[in-house]
Amino acid sequence: MSRKLSEEEYKKTLSYRVEQWFAGQRDPYLEHLRMKPQAERTPEPEREEALREEKKERLDKVYRISDNRPVKLFEKLYRIFCIAFCFFLVAMLLIAVSFLPSYGEDEKPVNNEVSRRYIEKGLQETGAVNIVTGMILDYRAFDTLGESHVLFAATCTVLILLRHDKKKGERDTEEESDRVYEPKNDVILQMVTKVLVPPIILFGIYVILCGHLGPGGGFSGGAVIGAGLILYLNAFGFAKTEKFFSEKTYKVLSVSALGCYCLAKSYSFYTGANHIESVIPLGTPGAILSSGLILVLNICVGIVVAGTMYTFYVMFRKGGY
Amino acid sequence: MAALEWIRFCAGGLFLLCGIVFFVFEMIGVFRFRYVMNRMHAAAMGDTLGIGFSMLGLMILCGFNFTSLKMLCVVIFLWFSSPASSHLIARLEVTTDEEPEKHYKKKNIEPGEKEKEAV
Repeated sequence: MSRKLSEEEYKKTLSYRVEQWFAGQRDPYLEHLRMKPQAERTPEPEREEALREEKKERLDKVYRISDNRPVKLFEKLYRIFCIAFCFFLVAMLLIAVSFLPSYGEDEKPVNNEVSRRYIEKGLQETGAVNIVTGMILDYRAFDTLGESHVLFAATCTVLILLRHDKKKGERDTEEESDRVYEPKNDVILQMVTKVLVPPIILFGIYVILCGHLGPGGGFSGGAVIGAGLILYLNAFGFAKTEKFFSEKTYKVLSVSALGCYCLAKSYSFYTGANHIESVIPLGTPGAILSSGLILVLNICVGIVVAGTMYTFYVMFRKGGY
Repeated sequence: MAALEWIRFCAGGLFLLCGIVFFVFEMIGVFRFRYVMNRMHAAAMGDTLGIGFSMLGLMILCGFNFTSLKMLCVVIFLWFSSPASSHLIARLEVTTDEEPEKHYKKKNIEPGEKEKEAV
């Protein structure tokens, strides 16, 4: 029996298309990957007028100084206090500088036994090959906890300042959110994003997980993951990212990560801050499951940083998830 | 073996130099040109050719191991992302530029005109 296909069946196969492409008779992108012109913006004169009026009213309320005596007084006092505070700060700093040890002195605080101990006994005591990670997440873990909470507090502040409290379903117009000319649903960007976002997020996870084995850690890995999320958002818009990252997701993730960090670290404090006795084994240095709590803490920090970056971007762009 | 090592060193150094030359072009272009599109072209050249040549040189110098694989990943990533970002900048420029005649001529090509010319 012959295996020869008929002409029409052959035209459906992949090899026919490849052959056509080689011969230059067919462009595979011609029908499928094409830039669509951006949708024209429909002007809404009434709404724009209302917006302009509202803005003018608001500006009048705040900035018309001639009718506003408290503001006038405040401005005068503000200048005086500004100058006084500047002089105070300069004097303070100059006095502090005059007490600094001279350059290259042997008994400077930098050259004490602490840094020597980090270098000599760091691997033994923390189990982390990367000394820096061992330092920031073991010896000085309390400090890093503070840093994570600073990030959390910064996000809270941005939320308070920039969040739009609107009813559900009532979306901003593009005029308000200032996205009139931004490329929307760009085919090329979407294609690139589809290819690039999974490797970016995988790389971020790799950086977080290998924080105690090499360069990396929670902060840098979290930043990479956050950047991947922002790229995805830019390509596909809020409708798609809402499905997996909403306000609730952020709340749950960051609060549970910070709580996990607090619990893990307070356990370490209760068992003796100098690690006299700890149930968690340090493991073999160099293995991925080693160095006690550092891996867990790294993951927590990474989650917090990624969420913070994404939230900052979202807040500055739209004022809501 | 010494000769082979020398050849490798020379090839790697040559590629690195090539990449650095492209980076120099990029820097000059970015700072000398006055229009977005021209600057973008210069910058994209450094991001693609410059990084490609320098990483190739480093890969040759480093030999075939895990580090050179990571360098290859860097090159692939930049070759994906740099054209996409250039495309976005260009698109934004075309949509928002109010006086395009200053910098370039806009040609109104009807679809299918090219084919007519070919015939």
